[in-house]
Formats: sequence, structure tokens, C-alpha cells
Amino acid sequence: MKRLMVVFLIIGMMLVSGAFTALAAEEINVIYMAQAAYQPDEVRDMADLFEELSGIKVNLEFVKYDEQHEKVVLSAVAPVPTYDVFSLDLIWTAEFASKGFCVALDDYITPEVRADIAPAIMDAFVFDGKTWAMPFLANFQLFFYNIDMIKQAGFTGPPKTLEEMVEQMKAMKKKGIVKYPWTDSWNQKEGLTCEYVWLTGAFGGDTFDEKGRPIFNTGPGLKALEFMVMLLDEGLANPKALTNDEPAARDDFIAGNAAFTSNWTFQYGSMNDPAVSKVVGAGKMGLLPVSKDVLGKYPYDSASVSGFQGAAILANSKNKEAAWKYLRYITSPIVQRAYLTEMPVWTSVQTSAYAMTMDPVIDIKAKEIASVHHRPKVPPYPEVSSILQRYIHLALEGKMKPKAALDKAKAEIEAVMGL
Amino acid sequence: MRRRVGELSSERLASILLLPSILIIVCVVIGPLVFAFYLSFYKAEPVIGGISSEFIGFSNYLYYCFKDPLFWNAVRLTTYFTVVSLIIELILGIGMALVLNKRFIGRPFVRSIMLLPWALPTVVNARMWEWIYAGSSFGALNGLMKVLHIFPADYDAVWLGFGVPFQNIPLVGSFMEWVGASTALHMIILADTWKVTPLVTLLVLAALQPIPDNYYEAAGIDGAGAWSQFWHITFPLLRPVLLVILVLRTMELFRVFDIIYILMQYSIRVMGVYTFEVGMKFLHFGKGSALSFLVALFILGIALIYVKLLHSEEIY
Repeated sequence: MKRLMVVFLIIGMMLVSGAFTALAAEEINVIYMAQAAYQPDEVRDMADLFEELSGIKVNLEFVKYDEQHEKVVLSAVAPVPTYDVFSLDLIWTAEFASKGFCVALDDYITPEVRADIAPAIMDAFVFDGKTWAMPFLANFQLFFYNIDMIKQAGFTGPPKTLEEMVEQMKAMKKKGIVKYPWTDSWNQKEGLTCEYVWLTGAFGGDTFDEKGRPIFNTGPGLKALEFMVMLLDEGLANPKALTNDEPAARDDFIAGNAAFTSNWTFQYGSMNDPAVSKVVGAGKMGLLPVSKDVLGKYPYDSASVSGFQGAAILANSKNKEAAWKYLRYITSPIVQRAYLTEMPVWTSVQTSAYAMTMDPVIDIKAKEIASVHHRPKVPPYPEVSSILQRYIHLALEGKMKPKAALDKAKAEIEAVMGL
Repeated sequence: MRRRVGELSSERLASILLLPSILIIVCVVIGPLVFAFYLSFYKAEPVIGGISSEFIGFSNYLYYCFKDPLFWNAVRLTTYFTVVSLIIELILGIGMALVLNKRFIGRPFVRSIMLLPWALPTVVNARMWEWIYAGSSFGALNGLMKVLHIFPADYDAVWLGFGVPFQNIPLVGSFMEWVGASTALHMIILADTWKVTPLVTLLVLAALQPIPDNYYEAAGIDGAGAWSQFWHITFPLLRPVLLVILVLRTMELFRVFDIIYILMQYSIRVMGVYTFEVGMKFLHFGKGSALSFLVALFILGIALIYVKLLHSEEIY
């Protein structure tokens, strides 16, 4: 009996002391999607230093991209949230903001901060006139070309326009340099929407208007889809592109099976890695070309698509102040300067002499990032994008004509949005 | 026998012992089921701190039955997937069981390794076939085709592609297009069948073993050939186990999700995938619940038909 009491006493003491340490130190829970961006150990390093400086304990959870949305929703719906801070893909901004899942950060973000982040980046996280996340990662698509193939085909440099690119591809095909000069990630996933958004931009427009209404079925949107279908019909695009995700499209390119592709920033690293790439030296990165009719419309005659990630605070978090401190820290110029593997969001860091020396292509990246088009900012985004993907894919498979596919997509999207 | 004070009757003891598992089942199975059924009559969406719901009666069910073409596409596609998979599994399963029921050297070894695919988790199986079917030169199947000189060195087949098979054959082609079949779907059927056939074989084999040899001997003396022996002796005796297999497999095939989602995400919308997309991606909890009950309704309907068709008095 005595022994039992001693055991209980010890357990009781442990519980009490545990409760006190929990009270003494502030703690925040963070969920971060580990994908082709800052890697978990890097995020952990950032958190370690933050703990050291602030005394706030950071519990990190890493999940796959596909799980993040679900987990954040679950945490927002729960009476007691699992997380305080989460990484937010820009396409969720409208949805989470309209449902009140995250906190508007306008009171926290100072004018100095705003002045140093390009509007193209900040705008991605604005919905209903408020800012819902602090930009953390600036991903976007770039143009990749194989200069050896271009030269073999008898041209001197990369194409400036889409039309010029088609001309080069036809020459390559004719000379048998490469079977399918174009590859891409056109499988029926989010990547397809991204490709379609930049191509619509390259034909001079956007998929949705400023009021969030779909306009893609005429003009630039239609031209973009017709262009994609034409590439397949003419045998210029690899039919395998219809089943490719982004890593698969990269693999096509770095295996030397394509002359051109568009992809996110991560391809640059693999392309120059002799262990995996057959196109080291030949593979180059540049600005995505636009249609010749659009020349002069954009500052750098290029169009891209944004894939930004922000850091946001859950509305039911009990530690909002600590959460903001953490958020401000991981998105700060000093941290981004230390991790130049990803494109910094701060103009002062992008243009610093240090960044220029460390990253020889930062100049191209800075120009491309200023040329991004956003995917539509509408609350039912997952559904809207899914409809778009489905009809675009049907057109690519040749089962529908581009115009008919886009008309139907527009009608369905309007029904979902209640327009 | 006299009971001591405080001793429990065996029924009461049984119910006390069962209580924890019943509680768990109520919490994790029956509770969510009832809640989902309740949600299926509501327009339910997540909001901060809970779920908002608005009663809309049968609207969710009516929407899918009469207004949503995607739902009927999913029904056709799922039915096709189920029927084709079942036919292949049954033919292969019965065939393999018949072979394994004969005596030959190394039979115990073959019987045990045959079960290996079934022991694989579906996720592992899906990932493995993803590598096999990869549409690049890294794909194992493409590699094999090249080694065997069936494909030229610079050709890579897109195994998980969206082409409609037999498109040029008049009726078959339009049927395939109507059900939404694609090369990818057939490849997935193959991958799934590879994994599940051993289970069918095992069940059939278990039913074959008690059939006495003298039935066949007698039939042989009466002049019955192998086929008529199978048709008149084996098949009727296999009926009960076939019923079990059919119900079990139809249920599993009709709600297939994992292998298709892992290999193709949302691009092959069978009912399981569609339900997940509506419920968990678009966050329409009400609609998603309605969809899952519709799936259950279909399975129930099919199961009833099976029981009617195959139920018979056992002849032993």
C-alpha cells in the first residue's frame, strides 16, 4: 500500500511540474506542407533559432501538400484548434478568408513591410480588401529550353514569342532532333490549371475578371487552349504530357527528351545536377515567351503563373501574438537571405549584391515573378479548378472542341459560384 | 448448481465482456454512420469552430439522381470496373484453385507464395504498379517491352493514358466511350486483379477440398468429360462460396478508392473517388454523405440480386 502511495505521489509531482513548465513557456503548433520548397530540416532550423530568441516553443508538423488543406480545415472546425500557424497555398486565400478560418493580418503588417514586397506577391493573399497571409515562398513557373537542340535546328537562341517557339519545334521535328519538342504537366490536376493560367496570360489575358467572374471561354483563354491542342495535334507536344505531373515533366526535359517546357523553380536545380540530368550545360532557364500579338503589353514580354505560399494564423488560435511573432520571423528578410534556395519575397533581398552573387539567375527570376498571373481568387476554388481541369483535359484528349469545352466549363463554374 | 453470491451468470458475463467492443463500435462506426446519414439531408459546410447546416430534405439525393451527369458517369464507370474485375478474378481464381487442388510436386510451396500479392497493402501495390506503368523509359513495363524487342528503343507507351480502347470497333468503341473506360482504367484493373485473385483462389480452394473424389470417379464411369464434371459437380458445390466471393468482392470493388486515387488522383472518377472529392476536397459534407449512402444503396441492391440468383439448398 505504501509503495502504491509513493508511486501516486511521484506521478502527481510529475503532472504538476509538467503543467507548470507548460504554463511558463509559450507554445505554438505549426503545420507546414513539405514539398518542393524549404525542406523540413530547414524549417526546423529556422524554428530552433526562433525558440532561442523568443522563448516560444515551436511544435512543427510536416505533411504532404494534398493533406494540408484537409488538416487545416479540420483544425479550424474544431473547438480547440490543433494548429496556430499554417502554410497557406495562395489558392486557398479566398476560401479560408470567406469562411473566416484565418485572421486578417492588416493590423500587423506595417507600411515598411508592404513597401518592400512586390505588389504581384502581396496581392496573391488579398481577398475582400484584406491581407490574410504573410508571403513566405515565391514559387512561379519559368521557361526551360535546350540550347543544343535549338542550335542543331539552325537557330541562334531561345524563342522570344510562342510563334517563334512553334517554328523552332517544327524544325526540330523535321530534322529528327527530338521526337516531341514540348513536354509539360498536363495531367488532370492542379498543375493543369497553372499551365492554362500562364498560357492565357501569354495570349494577353486572365481566366477570370477583376470581379471574380469567369471569362476564359473567349479571347486569350480560348486561344491558350487552342494552342495546347494544336501542339498535341501537330505532334509537337508529347502525348505523355497528359499524364505528367511536374516532376514527370521535369524528368522528360532532363532526360533530353524535350527541347522546351515550363515548370516551377525547382527544375533549375535538377537540370544542373549531373547525377540526374543528361542536359547539364544544354538546359537553360529563361523567361516564358508570349504570343507575338501581346509583345509590348507586359514589362518583360513574359507571362507566368504564381504558386506562392503564405504563412497564416488560424482564427481560433489561442496564441495569436506568439503566432504572429513566429510568422514575422520566418518570413523576415534575414531568414530569407540565409535560405536563397528559394526565391526571396523581399525586393531588398532580391536586389541585394549578396543575393546576386549567390544566385546567378536571380535576375531572370525577379523579372518572371513580376510577370505572374494568379489563379482565380474565388471561394469555391477547389471546385472551380476541378471543373476547369476536367474540361481542359477533355479538350486535350480530343474528346471535345476547345470552345465547346470552355463554354461548358464556364456554365458549370457559374452554377457552382451562384452567378 | 448453486451459484455463489456475486458470481455472474454466463450471459451477463458475456455482455460485460462485449461491452467495450460494442462501445468502440458505436463510437467509431455506428455514431459516424448515423451522423453521416443525418448530414445527408442538410447543406452542411465547415465553418470556424464547427459545421453549419441547413435542412434541405432529399435535395442532395435528388441532385445526384437527376441533375448531376458526373454521378451517372461515376456509376457507369464503377459498374464497368466492378464487372470486368469480377469476371477476371473469378475465372483466374477458379482456374488457379482447380490446378492447386490437384496433387503435384511443390504444391505447398506454390500455395503459400501464391498468397503473397494479397498480403501487400494496397498502397504498396499501387506504388509498385506506378513504377511498372511509368510512361517513360524508366517504367518497368516499357523496359521489359524493349528488352523483348516488342517496342523499338525510342518508343515509350503511356500505360496510364486516357485513350479509349477498341475505339475503332463500331459498337464496342462507343460502349467504351459511354462507360468512360480508358487504357489507364484497364491497367488498374490488371493491377488490382493481380493483388486480389489469390484471395478468390484461396476461398475457392477451401470449398473444393471437401468435395469427395468418388463423385468424379462415378461421373467418369458414367462417361462425363472434364467440362461436364466441372459444370455438374464442381460448380453447384461451389455456389455458396461463389456467393460469398461475389458479395464480398462487389462490395470492395464498388467502393474502390485507394488504388485509383493513388495512381490517377481525381482523373478516374469512380464513385469512391467522386465521394471523397465532393466531401473532403470541395467540403460539401452533406452532399458527400448523400453520395456515400447512394453507393451503399447500390451495393445493397446488387447483393440482394446475388442472393436471389445464387441461393440454393446445399447438397452434401
